[in-house]
Amino acid sequence: MTTPAGSPETKLPQNGPSAFDAHHPPQRDLLDDCVHCGFCLPTCPTYQLWGEEMDSPRGRIYLMDLAAKGEISLEGPFTEHIDRCLGCMACVTACPSGVQYDKLLESVRPQIERNVPREKSDKLFRDAIFALFPYKRRLRAAAVPGALYQKVRATRLGRRVLPRILDKLPARLAATESLLPPVQLKEAFARLPVYTPAVGERRARVALLSGCVQDVFFHRVNEATVRVLAAEGCDVVVPRDQQCCGALELHAGRESGALARARRTIARFESLDVDTIVTNVAGCGSSMKDYAHLLADDPEWAERAAAFSARVRDVHEVLADLEPRAPRHPIRGRVAYHDACHLGHAQKVRAQPRAVLRSIPDLELLDLPEAELCCGSAGIYNMVAPEAAADLGARKAANVRSVDPDIIVTANPGCLLQIGKHLTGSETDPERAPVPLLHPVQLLDASIRGTVVPRT
Amino acid sequence: MTAADDTTAPTTLRPTDLRSVREAVLDSAGGLAIAGAGTAAAWGGDLDAVDSVLDMTGVTGVIAHNPGDMTVSVHAGTPLRRLNSELAPHGQQVSLDAARIARGATVGGLVATADAGPAALVHGSLRDLVIGTTVVLADGTVARSGGHVIKNVAGYDLAKLVHGSYGTLGVLVEVVLRLHPVPKRTTTVALDCPLAEASGHARRVLDGPYEPVALEWRSDSDGSGDGPAATEAGRLLVRVEGTEDALSGRARRLRAALGPAATEIAADAEAEEWAAHAERVRGGPGHAVLRLGALPSALPGLLAALPGAATPDAALTIGLGTGVATAALPADAEAIEAAHRAVHAAGGTSALRDRPTGFGGPAWGPAPSAVGVLKAVKTALDPAGRFGPGRFAPWFELTSPGRTT
Amino acid sequence: MALEAGVRSAFARAIGAENVIDDPVRCRSYECDGLTGYRVVPELVLLPRDAEAVAAAVRMCAQHKVPFVARGAGTGLSGGALPVADGVVISLSRLKRVLEVDPVNRRAVLEPGVTNLEITAAAAPHGLYYAPDPSSQQVCTIGGNVAENSGGAHCLKYGFTTNHVLSMEVVLPDGSVVTLGGDTAEQAGPDLRGVFLGSEGTLGITTKITVRLLRTPETVRTLLADFPSVSAAGDVVSDIVAAGIVPAAVEMMDTLAIEAAEEAVHAGYTVGVPAALVVELDGPVEECDVQFEQVKAICDKHGCTRLHIAGGPQERAAIWRGRKAAFAAVGRISPDYFVQDGVVPRTRLAEVLDRIARMGRDAGLRVANVFHAGDGNLHPLVLYSAAAGETERAEKLSGEIAELCVELGGSLSGEHGIGTDKACSMPKMFGEDDLAVMHRVRGAFDPDGLCNPGKVLPTPRLCGERPGRYRPHPLEESGVIERL
Repeated sequence: MTTPAGSPETKLPQNGPSAFDAHHPPQRDLLDDCVHCGFCLPTCPTYQLWGEEMDSPRGRIYLMDLAAKGEISLEGPFTEHIDRCLGCMACVTACPSGVQYDKLLESVRPQIERNVPREKSDKLFRDAIFALFPYKRRLRAAAVPGALYQKVRATRLGRRVLPRILDKLPARLAATESLLPPVQLKEAFARLPVYTPAVGERRARVALLSGCVQDVFFHRVNEATVRVLAAEGCDVVVPRDQQCCGALELHAGRESGALARARRTIARFESLDVDTIVTNVAGCGSSMKDYAHLLADDPEWAERAAAFSARVRDVHEVLADLEPRAPRHPIRGRVAYHDACHLGHAQKVRAQPRAVLRSIPDLELLDLPEAELCCGSAGIYNMVAPEAAADLGARKAANVRSVDPDIIVTANPGCLLQIGKHLTGSETDPERAPVPLLHPVQLLDASIRGTVVPRT
Repeated sequence: MTAADDTTAPTTLRPTDLRSVREAVLDSAGGLAIAGAGTAAAWGGDLDAVDSVLDMTGVTGVIAHNPGDMTVSVHAGTPLRRLNSELAPHGQQVSLDAARIARGATVGGLVATADAGPAALVHGSLRDLVIGTTVVLADGTVARSGGHVIKNVAGYDLAKLVHGSYGTLGVLVEVVLRLHPVPKRTTTVALDCPLAEASGHARRVLDGPYEPVALEWRSDSDGSGDGPAATEAGRLLVRVEGTEDALSGRARRLRAALGPAATEIAADAEAEEWAAHAERVRGGPGHAVLRLGALPSALPGLLAALPGAATPDAALTIGLGTGVATAALPADAEAIEAAHRAVHAAGGTSALRDRPTGFGGPAWGPAPSAVGVLKAVKTALDPAGRFGPGRFAPWFELTSPGRTT
Repeated sequence: MALEAGVRSAFARAIGAENVIDDPVRCRSYECDGLTGYRVVPELVLLPRDAEAVAAAVRMCAQHKVPFVARGAGTGLSGGALPVADGVVISLSRLKRVLEVDPVNRRAVLEPGVTNLEITAAAAPHGLYYAPDPSSQQVCTIGGNVAENSGGAHCLKYGFTTNHVLSMEVVLPDGSVVTLGGDTAEQAGPDLRGVFLGSEGTLGITTKITVRLLRTPETVRTLLADFPSVSAAGDVVSDIVAAGIVPAAVEMMDTLAIEAAEEAVHAGYTVGVPAALVVELDGPVEECDVQFEQVKAICDKHGCTRLHIAGGPQERAAIWRGRKAAFAAVGRISPDYFVQDGVVPRTRLAEVLDRIARMGRDAGLRVANVFHAGDGNLHPLVLYSAAAGETERAEKLSGEIAELCVELGGSLSGEHGIGTDKACSMPKMFGEDDLAVMHRVRGAFDPDGLCNPGKVLPTPRLCGERPGRYRPHPLEESGVIERL
């Protein structure tokens, strides 16, 4: 029921039982933090695209509140609008009231996964994604040049579902396939050394999360990361049998899968004698730093998760804290830095990557217009919502082009793939060499080693 | 037909305060003309014959001045010149410099005619300085809007409706004004140039950090027929205001920007310089004075092409930042009609001011797109059409009550 | 009485079904604006993509006598965009193109959904900016600014939205499209543009707005000064004004507001001081140099305990971030709060603050103060806890503060508008005749009363009616309005 005009109550009354189940519903005090001021609207990618209140952070929180007050159910519009959220957390940065939308979304998405039956085709597609992405082995198979769906079919689930969903979801599949760049077999199957000693006097011991997508499609970034960390005085350990950190599943609300991966990752790393657990992937870093919160009410794991999360740092945080030691060779060029949402908004790591890049002589660092706006990659978003992701990708590409960079750097594989796709797709002059898209550590690696800046 | 043609002179009513204004309106019947100091009596459309003239020059004087708040409430019949001289000891002023203030124009009259001077570049017109009004409507209703504070968004801003209404909607009786500090010092930099070059110089001033309070070009010609054509010779005037210590430096930079031909007017000659400008705004006998506004970039060309403008018989002024110009043109009804058309073809606005008695040319250009709303507002506030019948002909097509006797 | 199915589909035909939200759950997202205490679910939400579609939507409303409410970003704090029961919301969020920036004539042409800050962003490459800067400028739209005649921190020197809008294309409540104003500020005839500006969406919907742009000042000097008391800070403001200085902005915050803002944005405010002033001067370097020294001397004279001068654009931005985030940031120090917006003559600032403090003590509630000290515009924030049952007490206190402002010769609202929230307080500030004349003007634009009804002016249905005995409202008695 609508309250009558003139009610002094600024909050909705409780009119019925909550639509959420009892397992981690969105917290009442977090919902109440939102004062409906709307400061989040301009930075929300979906509000920018569609201009609809329900597809803004303020609107989504309002829907959560309505559901919690027992006024609407989770099925239908509620699920639709929560699904459309990219989880970029730009709203968290923008919010003057300190609303923890990240925490709200994190509790609401599993509620949907548990309580809202998905349409069959949607469910199958999502299952297929999660049968592929977190597995290095399957990704390597998929990375071999050729049609993606054949590789997905190679999995047991893929054999069962692909034929049924292919005709229904051409856009989603095409989007998924077009995102994945052809990868050299050599790189896809390469392995990082388990131990790399610091060059010169040791300043720290770190363990590197090699990641799943990162290690298959961007193995070169991992190699550069190991070299740079070593050059700056870090012993680098890369545990051999590590697996996916669970970020993709976590951000999609597949809670039990994500938690299982979190526990496995903690178990794999906690015994290592290292100061820091380093990641070069924004999405992984944000989820690993969140393990402490995710496992807080698990008596067996709470302390271990807290200890683990406390040691997790993005590679830029580590590098920015170390006074540059390895000599840098100049790199002359205009370098645009794109803040990956899970690094900038979710981890508030903005200054450090820039500081790291500025340590390279002659490099001209550029900021992008609408820097706070997501590129549309957003975990699995560009696969499940290809149209919206494409609109955002095109917008990001236009913003990138507007500063006319020689090189683009960003610290997340999803962003690299998404921006790369949209920059090429919209290039007016096909003859023109594409602008190199790199991870910042690749640039630093080239500077330290005095090698040519790589093209990819 | 104008009031002057009629054999019976209208009754003149001389109220002295809000109550007597209301009584005068209620006690009279038929058409009512509102008169101030008479400095713009003939502006706008010719009045139809009216039964009474409401002479507001007796409704005068400051009601309250709050120096600390920089606001003043004043009776509408107060000449602005007098008001400013009363405020001067407090170092405050109403920042309006319309040409006819020197002739004794009243606050109410200046509001009703939406008049403004060169300082509109920074301070706007009275619409931007009035923060409260009290108006008496034709049915005797006393309506206040706004208030005594400079920031206020409560209710509709009826002061805006009265601004430019030429006495057709109601009688403005009390006005609350926002004040500004009297500048510690002002100075004017001048550059002689023909109209065609004025825009280029003005751009250099506007694009720089000079913050002029007025930026005008005026023809050398005052329209008396001697000397060069009005468009051919003239003077760019740039006035800056500020503190003693800072102004010399600013004027120096400004002069440098305008080139070696620019000069700073001597302090004792500055008032005279601007008086000459005001004289051209007012025009002379035999002129039909057209006030016009258009995009600043289009204005010089538009002005030069007006019938009779490029002759020694015209006097021109043009605000290069405001886009507001005044053209005192040889009085010719057809030429004025053509001028209205030309201005409107350029997307501009125009109004006829002083002209010889019995001139006959149109006072207004084509009606604005919102004329329907204007008429509805007129009907809502003055359903019998008592106030200022004929002023907005042919925009308001209300039946004039004419003379009742 | 809900909208008939035939009428609903007529809207879909008029502007395209993909631009109509008719799902009741989705419509609930629009049930309130920035003032959440008032909630009405609209029948439909219309999201036209261009001016023609706005006109088509309004024509449909006129034809079927459906009341409508225009909505920008929904940030208003007076319930001005509260939907009307059985009516539709027309959201302008998709009309967000900057149509033109004309650096020569210093103006920009905008669709109503462009945000205030986007105007300056579009103008900045030409060394120009848009002056009015409400605290919500990063999100509030120019269409909403026009409706509310928005001010901002810098309106002391530069004026309000009404002083910066040259013309507007407006869809009138009958669906016809007119232009109010023109290429120059001075226009022939009564200033309808001026009446429309600040009419809170009750006279029509803007679809295109032309604004003046100003040259970016040569220099800007910003200082943040702490004072041992609010009255000392108030004396500084008086002395600055008395010295003939018109600062670009003078803002004051008290202890609670400073605490909240600092917690939100870490802008370098001193937590714990009784009052902080932000004073900003802008203009030519020579002028700023002279005046800045004067201002510093005045601060010292009144016992300034710390004077921080912004060292560059980033420090300046930080100071302003703190100030502009203050409202929402209060959410960090109190579960609930009411934002009040009143104006007093500047010379009565100390008096009004004293009385507010006393009223707060009497009510047992904390009041944080953020205000535009230069123009006497107060934003007392009444802090309370709904959970603790303080809501009604807080609302009463907030209302009393607004009425106190009127009593001291000020206004019910300096910039947030009357909207739904204060319509019933209007008789405190205006007499029956004043309000009746405003009704007449409204009727001239909107004879059928379809355009944002129930806002700004009191109506018996919202204010005068009490259950039980029939009591005619004064406006009814005077024949201005009819009981529905």
